[in-house]
Amino acid sequence: MTNVLEVKHLCKHYPSFTLKDVNFSLEKGKITGFIGRNGAGKSTTLNSLLHFVHPDNGEILFWGEDVSVGEMEIKQKIGFVSSGMSYYPNKKLKAVTNVTKSFYREWDEEAYQNYMREFELDENKTFRQLSMGMKIKYALALALSHNAELLILDEPTSGLDPVSRENLLEIFMSLCDRGKTILFSTHITSDLDKCADNIIYIRNGQIVERSALSEFVNTYRLVEYGENELTPEQMDKLIGKRRNKSGWTSLIRSKEAANFPGNISEADLDGIMVHLESEGKV
Amino acid sequence: MSRLLKKEFLLSMHPITPLMLALSLMVLIPNYPYAVMFFYMTLAIFFTCMMGRENHDVVYTMTLPVAKKEIVKARICFVVILELLQMLLLVPFSLLRQHLNAMGNEAGMDANIVLFAEGFLLFGIFNLMFFYSYYKNVDKVGISFVKATVVFFVLVTIDAVGTHVIPFMRDYLDTPDPKYLGYKLVALGIGIVLYVVMTIGVCRISIKNFEQQDL
Repeated sequence: MTNVLEVKHLCKHYPSFTLKDVNFSLEKGKITGFIGRNGAGKSTTLNSLLHFVHPDNGEILFWGEDVSVGEMEIKQKIGFVSSGMSYYPNKKLKAVTNVTKSFYREWDEEAYQNYMREFELDENKTFRQLSMGMKIKYALALALSHNAELLILDEPTSGLDPVSRENLLEIFMSLCDRGKTILFSTHITSDLDKCADNIIYIRNGQIVERSALSEFVNTYRLVEYGENELTPEQMDKLIGKRRNKSGWTSLIRSKEAANFPGNISEADLDGIMVHLESEGKV
Repeated sequence: MSRLLKKEFLLSMHPITPLMLALSLMVLIPNYPYAVMFFYMTLAIFFTCMMGRENHDVVYTMTLPVAKKEIVKARICFVVILELLQMLLLVPFSLLRQHLNAMGNEAGMDANIVLFAEGFLLFGIFNLMFFYSYYKNVDKVGISFVKATVVFFVLVTIDAVGTHVIPFMRDYLDTPDPKYLGYKLVALGIGIVLYVVMTIGVCRISIKNFEQQDL
């Protein structure tokens, strides 16, 4: 089956940053988390997908079609939602909707009205009057009403309170149940622990991991230890070293867990990312 | 293109723009440098582009299923419509001006046919300077406006001074209509041709610049 999105050998060079040979693909009906530190290359990658940025090299295929060839048709099937995006703050939502819908062949007015009711959005409010969560929901309503098959979400939960985040994650999961595909870029990795199927991890402009979330998380264990508690052989196996209240924490490969007596626990995405990022500093 | 133009007028246009259009009325002010009212329209264009930067207008438009070059064409087309509307509004007011006072304008060109030629020339120069720079970097809209405005006001000054010191301007062009109609119509024709050439030219260049720009 054709992947919803396939990125091959994507490269982009800036004076202070380089995106190096980025490769990944998205499966239909799955939520894929795109993680990495600020400045790791998430936004450059997403901007390349949407043709905001011109890659120096590489291929971007949506449903098997090159974005540089079929950009307009492809964008009919994509919804882009970003927490940093503001749709003309002083305009009423109905004015923005009125313009937006004229661009989409498959605009479904009934679906739009349903989403507006479901998300409790008032068309007569201006974008400025919406809370962060409501702004994201409005962007989602627009994307879903033109029947977007793929949702590209750039930090959609940034700045949201825990309840609103949880609500949004539930919406994302129900959308995937309906066959929508989601690429979810964030550095709030705990959100992905709850909803993602797959993970793409980018570091310093390079993809360092792409796999199923459960597989990725199960690759590692978190070990807590005190000063001089581990042998030199054990120290060699540690990945990253972070200080906590009772001593130190590091990651180890799960297969090494038997060699580490003591305080070993399952790692979450947050813990994995923090330790992998500090790997070079051990 | 029509959908993008709809977006330009309904979402992107700065709310002050209709007021700037109405400033065609300024031609009724006695002894006033009428070329300045064209500047007010360029100010509305600048405000629209600046507000677009704050409103993420380009990013929003880029997410729509439209080609990048269409975004440039629609913006320049929107600007041309505004500029032509101002010219259109200027027709009845300049006729009225001539009817009210045949003494002419001491502060620059009279409200006659040559004023329209001047308007086209100034708008053409503004479009060329502003959009050439703007579509190289849409975030630096202020710098683009300053560059265009400096050239704009050099021309306005030349015009104001020229109506007093350049004999051909003073004796033939800066006169009430329909005196020396032939000269004035030639000037209008030249103004329109230059406007069309500069605007179409900068549209083509802007498309290339915008295509290469990383947003």
